[in-house]
Amino acid sequence: MSVIDLKLLQETKTLERCPFPIPAGWFFVDYSKNLAPGEVRNVFLLDQEWVLFRGEGEDGKAGLTDPFCPHLGAHLGHGGKVVGDNIRCTFHHWQFNPEGWCKDVPYAKIMPPVCKKQPILRTLPVIEKWGMIWCWYHPQAEAPQWELPSIPELESDDYIEPRTGHWEVNTAVQEVAENGVDFAHLKFLHGEPEIPPATTEFKGHEIFTDMKNGYIKGHQCGPGLAIFRFDHEGVVATMVSYSVPYTREQTKMNMSFTHFKYPEGTKEAMVAQHLVNHMVGEADGEESAGFESVDFIVWNNKKYRPNPLLCDGDGPILQYRKWFKQFYPGNEDNPNL
Amino acid sequence: MAQIHVIQRDGSKRTIEAPEGEPLMEALRDENTGVEGTCGGTCSCGTCHVYVAGTWQDKTGARSDEEDMMLEALEEYVELRPGSRLACRIEVSNALDGLELEIAPPVE
Repeated sequence: MSVIDLKLLQETKTLERCPFPIPAGWFFVDYSKNLAPGEVRNVFLLDQEWVLFRGEGEDGKAGLTDPFCPHLGAHLGHGGKVVGDNIRCTFHHWQFNPEGWCKDVPYAKIMPPVCKKQPILRTLPVIEKWGMIWCWYHPQAEAPQWELPSIPELESDDYIEPRTGHWEVNTAVQEVAENGVDFAHLKFLHGEPEIPPATTEFKGHEIFTDMKNGYIKGHQCGPGLAIFRFDHEGVVATMVSYSVPYTREQTKMNMSFTHFKYPEGTKEAMVAQHLVNHMVGEADGEESAGFESVDFIVWNNKKYRPNPLLCDGDGPILQYRKWFKQFYPGNEDNPNL
Repeated sequence: MAQIHVIQRDGSKRTIEAPEGEPLMEALRDENTGVEGTCGGTCSCGTCHVYVAGTWQDKTGARSDEEDMMLEALEEYVELRPGSRLACRIEVSNALDGLELEIAPPVE
């Protein structure tokens, strides 16, 4: 049993904006087309710098590695070169493959035995899907614990080339996605005529939501991917959201919007287009607003209350937070989350 | 201090003093016996390979897995003997006072 702590409720100076570690999960890195064969690039995500590279040749594999060579600490992204499938450190030309195995020490008569036993450079597991590069992050470097789902809209030619959008928000990824189950704010912040009736199912690393009896179906898949399908009289538009923590307090929001290739000029095509506009928040003649115009003012300025004062009519906020805790291994008993 | 009787690579014999509680590799390296100890004791370079004399092998203990892997890698280049050890994995103690060993050939 817990009681309301009035002192805690009123004393907000000790509250943190973002008490969260970087969560475990699959995260978007970049679009595949943005990484050329043989390219080496430094990228900042998940609260640290990484070196992104692609092997030579048409089907060169992408790798995402910790920047510092296990040998003598040179930065692989400053002077490092791709050789075949490997990244080669500029300092002594040690080579590492995308899985972090040391593949060559050009001057050693005997390669250190550990090199044959295990990867010695920390790399993140990377897969390419939907024309995107995805990485698996785990704070204790454990192997992927689930697979990315199938998204037919991004896998078939029957759908239009997605429109994409990118936004930067000054809060943690958990806070951004919490709005997905905060159904009450849709009336007051977004101006929906009423609080939409909604159901939520938390299942392993996934959440399934249904708002307005099938009008919006949401599928959150870990902390870094959510798919929302808007169904207006059978015309469906899809929003795929793939946020990635930049730092612990900054999140890059990325989205792809698409719909079935309805024949041009048909009513269905217009409805689908309108749905997409509505999602982003630029639809004409709309009374309610998409996330772009209203959510940022809240996200960018709020503090996180680990013990919020909730009322009837609020969505399943606490269930969501309990669900999200699975992505903070090692923080099971952290009272600030 | 423990006295260590060393046969060097040129066949010459020496006795060195090794401080107790430290890896034998460090004393052999600091006394310029031919041991390099490049990796500092992580079993990744194989430059502190020695042959411990038969009577002393029980006292120097068993080889670790890491040590075994490095010795296996060395096998292609130098002779391994029952007394083959990496000196970085032998901690000098009172019990090793009088230890006899030979410095193994370098990898070439």
